[in-house]
Amino acid sequence: MIELIVTIKNKAGLHTRPAATIVKLAAKYECEFFISRDGMNINGKSIIGVMTLAAEEGAKLTLTFDGADEEEAAKEIVDFFERGFGEE
Amino acid sequence: MININDKSITRKDSITVEFFYEKTKRLFKLKLLSKSCDFSRKIFDQNLHRPGLALAGFVELFAYQRVQVLGNTELRYLNHLSKSEQKKSLENIFKFEIPCIILSNKNKPTTILKELAKKYKIPLFSSSDTTTKLTYFISDFLDDQFAERITIHGSFVDVYGAGMLFVGKSGVGKSEVALDLVERGHRLVADDVIILTKKGEGILMGAGTNIAKHFMEIRGLGIIDVERMFGIRAIRFQKRLEIVVELEIWDEKTHYTRTGLSEQTVLISGVEILYIRLPILPGKNITVISEVIALNYLLKHYGHDAAKIFQNRLNSRLKSKNAMAQRGIDYFEHDFE
Repeated sequence: MIELIVTIKNKAGLHTRPAATIVKLAAKYECEFFISRDGMNINGKSIIGVMTLAAEEGAKLTLTFDGADEEEAAKEIVDFFERGFGEE
Repeated sequence: MININDKSITRKDSITVEFFYEKTKRLFKLKLLSKSCDFSRKIFDQNLHRPGLALAGFVELFAYQRVQVLGNTELRYLNHLSKSEQKKSLENIFKFEIPCIILSNKNKPTTILKELAKKYKIPLFSSSDTTTKLTYFISDFLDDQFAERITIHGSFVDVYGAGMLFVGKSGVGKSEVALDLVERGHRLVADDVIILTKKGEGILMGAGTNIAKHFMEIRGLGIIDVERMFGIRAIRFQKRLEIVVELEIWDEKTHYTRTGLSEQTVLISGVEILYIRLPILPGKNITVISEVIALNYLLKHYGHDAAKIFQNRLNSRLKSKNAMAQRGIDYFEHDFE
């Protein structure tokens, strides 16, 4: 199991477009992927879950990957967060 | 199994008096009596306290961190004291960091109580409810506020009145089953993010989040609004959790129950909930099976356990000489339909 903390970097926060991208990226992998924030632990493969987090700029999220391909999944998804979803 | 870990569980350790007032003024008709008070004071405990002994001067073990309720007895006591005694008595409790004071039973605060509450900036409320009623309502409200909350990924539907939570891996079809059930007249509580709250002992109440409400994602379609689409009959805001159904792809190596004589349960926050593993197979209508699960649960609840009845019938037959099953009808009596 891999557990990492990421920070939302873009101004608009984790809105619909990046949420959809995260879900799409996660769906490629077999491993379980959960995102948690303040006791809300949601499935990172579900768009409604990810949108429910309502993570604004600066919010800290804990990502958990668990499964055979957890390393590859973590690498790609964390990179997407690190790039601020490719936004300002 | 269901994914519950420390990250899924939250419990508030305090609420501010401001939050308490915002929520309770509507529910329990609390009235604020002192305008200048410190609303950021915190409530740390779900219990209430009637500070009779503390007012009389005995402050050892005084539960000051609780909401203080002054009923008829306490006010009668204060009123029978002289002004200086009353001031001393109230300062006994005001020197502690008490969150707020509520006067029950339409009681009016004494002048000194009002003055001191202002001086110490302690929020002072009044209620027209009797002390017993008020205590019950506020305890229940605070119990809920301080209860453990668990987020679970799944779909939660009221099926014939039984609260059924579908869990399972992403993409296994939880939302699709929920949608199918809604179409057949059952009611959606929440999809995707379910928040369970422990209520009293042995009860878990489930609800959705205030963001997702009754929205749902159907793969290949996107997000749909179930309430708008199917109307008010298709939703409900809360439901007691009674059955957990885990949907999974059929696995040959897994042993699935055949008789239903022994029930499996899952422990969530110390509450035992009926747990059913449901393998998905081609040609298997999960929606109808879900309805049957709910109906069977209701039958058992009303004392009719099909598996047990069948077992008992077999056992009594095994004792007789001619035990083998015969045709269920002795003679067709000219009925050729």
